[in-house]
Amino acid sequence: MLECCQKIQFDHGIRRILVVEDDLINREILSLMLRDTYDILIAETGKQALELLESDYGTLSLVLLDLNLPDMKGVDILGRIKGNALTARLPVIVMTADQNAEVECLTLGATDFISKPYPKQEIVLARIRRTIEQFEDRDIIRWTERDQLTGLYNREFFYRYAAQHDEHHPEEPTDAIVLDINHFHMVNERYGKEFGDRVLRLVAEKLRAKVSDSDGIVCRKEDDTFLIYCLHRSDYGQILDGVCMQMETDYQIRARMGVYPDVDRGIDMERRFDRAKQAADAVKNSYSQTVGFYDNAMHEKELYLEQLLEDFHTAIREKQFTVFYQPKFDVRPDEPVLCSTEALARWRHPKLGLISPGVFIPLFEKNGLIRELDSFVWREAVAQIRTWEERLGRLIPVSVNVSRIDLNDPPLLKILEKTVDEAGIGRESILLEITESAYTDNAEQIINVVKSLRESGFFIEMDDFGTGFSSLNMITTLPIDALKLDIQFIRTAFRDRKDTRLLETVIRLAQSLGLSTIAEGVETEEQMLTLKALGCDVVQGYYFSKPLPADEFEAFAREKCRWPGN
Amino acid sequence: MLTIDALRRFGANTEEGLGRCLNNEAFYLRLVNMSLQDAGFDKLASAVESDDRKAAFEAAHALKGSLGNLALTPIYTPVAELTELLRGGQDADYKAMLGTILRQRAELLALCEG
Repeated sequence: MLECCQKIQFDHGIRRILVVEDDLINREILSLMLRDTYDILIAETGKQALELLESDYGTLSLVLLDLNLPDMKGVDILGRIKGNALTARLPVIVMTADQNAEVECLTLGATDFISKPYPKQEIVLARIRRTIEQFEDRDIIRWTERDQLTGLYNREFFYRYAAQHDEHHPEEPTDAIVLDINHFHMVNERYGKEFGDRVLRLVAEKLRAKVSDSDGIVCRKEDDTFLIYCLHRSDYGQILDGVCMQMETDYQIRARMGVYPDVDRGIDMERRFDRAKQAADAVKNSYSQTVGFYDNAMHEKELYLEQLLEDFHTAIREKQFTVFYQPKFDVRPDEPVLCSTEALARWRHPKLGLISPGVFIPLFEKNGLIRELDSFVWREAVAQIRTWEERLGRLIPVSVNVSRIDLNDPPLLKILEKTVDEAGIGRESILLEITESAYTDNAEQIINVVKSLRESGFFIEMDDFGTGFSSLNMITTLPIDALKLDIQFIRTAFRDRKDTRLLETVIRLAQSLGLSTIAEGVETEEQMLTLKALGCDVVQGYYFSKPLPADEFEAFAREKCRWPGN
Repeated sequence: MLTIDALRRFGANTEEGLGRCLNNEAFYLRLVNMSLQDAGFDKLASAVESDDRKAAFEAAHALKGSLGNLALTPIYTPVAELTELLRGGQDADYKAMLGTILRQRAELLALCEG
C-alpha cells in the first residue's frame, strides 16, 4: 500500500543519500564530495542496495546509482525502486559513462545523470540539490492531492487528472465509473472504524491494481464512494468481483458499480460522474445486477429533468404552477368535520403536460429551487385563506410544506411572517409541515428553527412520520403540534392481513405527548373508521376527496360539509 | 614516493584529478596508489588472454571509471579505447592494447616505488 503521507525523516536537517557504487575509488571520491553536505549510506552491491532500501527508505532523499554492479545490473535496481510503492517516490540519479544507457534509465524513471568521470564537486552537488528539491516539492503536492487514508487521488485533483487523461487520449473511448460499497455505514457501526478503514484501503488497493494496467486513475471521492476514469473496457464485472472480498470476520464486502461508457467529452467531468452515479443508483437495490450502465433511458430522463430545471422560472412567472387543496377532516365527532386542507403544488407544463410532484419536488429539493416553489405556494395559500374567509365566512387553515432546504435558510422565519402578515391573517391559519427526514440531517439546527417558528405562532406538523429513521428522541425533542402518519404507514397497516398494532402504538404515543395525529392516504371507510377508533384525530385522503383546484375545493366545502357550530 | 609533479610528468591530468579530490593531494595520491593495485588489471589481462570478451569488457569498463576519475590519462586512454571496441564487439588486437595498458601501469608503479 502506498503511504502517500510517508514523510522523509531528516537528522538535524541533513538529507540522506544512498550511494550504490562497487568501485572503491569512485566511492571514496564521491564520499569526499558529498560528506560535508549529506549523510551518506553506501551499498557496494545490488543486494546491499535493496536491503538498505527496504530498511531505510523512509530516511532517504535520493539514490545515486552506478549501473555496473558485480551482482546485478543497475537498471534492474532502478526498476525495483520504481516498481515498489514504498520506494517509487525516491529520485534516482544514475552515474554512467555510457550515453546509450540513458534512454533506458529515463524510461525506467531515472531523474538525472552524473557522467563519469565525475564533473566538478559544485556540479555534482547542484544536481543532487536540485533533484531533491524538486522531489520534495512534488511530495508536498502529492500530500495535498491524495486521500490520506487510501493514497488515492482526492476528488478535486482527480477531476484535474481526469481532464489530463483526456488530453493524453484524445481519440480513445473512455469510461467514467462510480463504485459504492453497500451499507458501509453499518460496517463502521458493527466492526468499528479501524476495520472500516481497512476495508476502504483494501478496496482502494484492488481498484488501483486493476485500473492501473489500462492507464486509468482512481479516486476516493468521499466515505465509501470511489471514482474511476479509464480507457473503455468490458471487464467491470470482474473488477467488482475482485473488490467483493470475504473478510476474516463474517463480513463480506459488497459493492455496486455504475458505468458511463464512452463518455461524451462535451460535458464537464463532474457531470460524467453524475451519470455514472445514476447508473450505480439504478442497481442499488438489485441483488443480482451489481453493475449498472448509463443508457438511453437514463439519458432521456436526464434531459427531461434538465428541461424542467430550465423551465422552472418561466413556469413560476407564467403561473404554470397551481395549488391544489386536499381536505382534512376532524374525525373525532360523530360526523367527520372539514377542519383544514393541505396545499399541494401542481405543474401544468405547456409542452410536457401535467408533471407529477413526485418528479419535480425531489429535483427542486436537490438544487435549491424548492425554496422559490415553496414561497410561491405559501403566498398562494395565504391569499386563498383570505379569499375563502371572505367568501365562505369562515377560516380554513391550510397546511403547507416547508422543505429541509427551507429549514436551513436563515431568513425562513421572516419570510413566513411577512407572507402571513401581509395577507392579514393569523399565524395559526398556516400549518407548517416539516418532513421527518430533515431532523436526521441536522437535528440541533432543526430543533432551533422549529422552536422559533412555533414561538412566532405557527403550528407545526411532523410530516411523513414512519418513513425514515423515526425516533422517539425526535418526537420528544422537536416542539411540534401534530404527527402526520405517512401514507405508506397507513397502507402497510391495512395490507392483506390487517395489522394495526403499530399504528395504535404510535397514536397512543402521540396522545401521551399531547400531540394530535393526522393520517394521510386514507382511501376507504374501513380505514377511516379504524383510525377513528384507534384515536386518530384528523384524516386526509381519497376517501374524503382527492386534491382539488381552489374553486372546486370551495364548492366541495360549501356542498358537503357542515361547519362545527353551524 | 609518488608526487604530483611525477604524476604530471607521467602525463596525468593532475589538475582535473586533484579537483575531484577537492585539491587534497594526500588523498589523491593515496587513491592513485590504490588504483594501481586494482584487481581489475589482472581480470582484464586474464580475460584478454583467454579471449573472454564479455569478461574483458566488464573489467575494462570498471577500470575505466576509476582511472577516468583520477585522470590517469596514459592508462585511461587505452582502457577507454579497449572498452569501446569491446562494447561494439569489434575485432582488434586486444593483446597489443592490453600490453600498452600494462606497460603504462608498470611505469606508474615504478614511479610510486621510486
